[in-house]
Amino acid sequence: MNTATKYLEAQSEEDALELLHELQCTDGLPVIIPTEKRVHDFVLSCGQDADMVLGELGPAMGRATVEKVAAAAVMAGCKPDYMPLLIAAVKAAADPKFDLAELQATTHCTAPLIIVNGPARQDCGPVASGYGALGPGHRANASIGRALRLCLINIGGGRPGVSDMALRGHPGKFSYCLAEAEEDSPFPPLHTSLGFDAADSVVTLLGCEAPHSVLYSDNADDPEDADKLLYILSVGLANLATNNHIFAQGSALVCLGPKHASVLARSDFSRESIQQRLWELTHFAKTEHIRYGGEFGSAFKDDPEGTYPAFKAPENILVMVAGGSGLYSMVMPNWGGAANANAAVSVKVDNDFFCEIPGLSGN
Amino acid sequence: MVSLVTEEFWEQGNFVARSLGMPDLPRVKLPHPIAGMGEAYREEVAAAVVASIMQRLAQ
Repeated sequence: MNTATKYLEAQSEEDALELLHELQCTDGLPVIIPTEKRVHDFVLSCGQDADMVLGELGPAMGRATVEKVAAAAVMAGCKPDYMPLLIAAVKAAADPKFDLAELQATTHCTAPLIIVNGPARQDCGPVASGYGALGPGHRANASIGRALRLCLINIGGGRPGVSDMALRGHPGKFSYCLAEAEEDSPFPPLHTSLGFDAADSVVTLLGCEAPHSVLYSDNADDPEDADKLLYILSVGLANLATNNHIFAQGSALVCLGPKHASVLARSDFSRESIQQRLWELTHFAKTEHIRYGGEFGSAFKDDPEGTYPAFKAPENILVMVAGGSGLYSMVMPNWGGAANANAAVSVKVDNDFFCEIPGLSGN
Repeated sequence: MVSLVTEEFWEQGNFVARSLGMPDLPRVKLPHPIAGMGEAYREEVAAAVVASIMQRLAQ
């Protein structure tokens, strides 16, 4: 397959923008025109060969070269500094365990959430992890997530109603990226629980729904404070309306606010014991599954007694800390379909080759 | 092999078949939706397309 990038021609930037919209190469919003020079500068800054293939993105199975990814980064409004994070995110999306082709094609509303850990949160950002990290106002979060989406559109071929069959999608399909608030967390960083060293920088990608807010008003005088918080989190995490409950597989993310994280830490919970307790609390009666599961409800028809877990293992429930300090945490259930049940994939960020290009730092 | 594809997903089926290098994969179009429409309807649809399925299997 030819990996060379084809450049379109237009008389002006305005014409080029209209052409890109017409060709369905945008996410519907205006983009920075990826001129040959701009893309070349981004490739140069990341120190990788332009035609190096990072992986194939489905369902089009397009080859994601550094040059094509750089074009998406330019279009999304990234700074060159963000390239190592975007490259790691693209590698994660291309990992077969991520089930990207199916994830793009499903009718479910799922989008790749980029979670950044380690020094690259600052070195390749800053990627916000505090107030409004998933909202507007943070250039790195907004543009890195957007650039990955543009890769999924233009390299992966995901276009609504044709190859991306999400019935409604969700706003995170424009951009969905945040860092873990490692400094505000009483727990070791997420990536260390996934087998990486604390000094590593890691991008973790999870295909998941829009964030669901979880309200819990804590009380330090209540000896059951942590248990009550975990119960409330479990209600949001997997209820009868979620795929994880009905498919009985997949993964999900619990994004604890720093205040809620401290509630759990003062009761001596670790990330692992939080995962274990949430896994226990998301066991459900098979009779409910049979009654409400529709065609999926036949799974336990021949063995209707007892309970079943919504997640195969506690490790399928990722736990991180982010956001401002207050009474809210978030949960993100996922799709849980396809051969690998839409697994989370983590990739170490390689920024050893990155070099600063004079005149580009302010872009 | 024959793929059964509902009309809403016909274009997507064509896209995926091309992407995977199998543009000529035999396909039979079904009405949409099929899920949740009941056993009797499914049997009606099956009866209507069985000849097409057999024809493509024989090709």
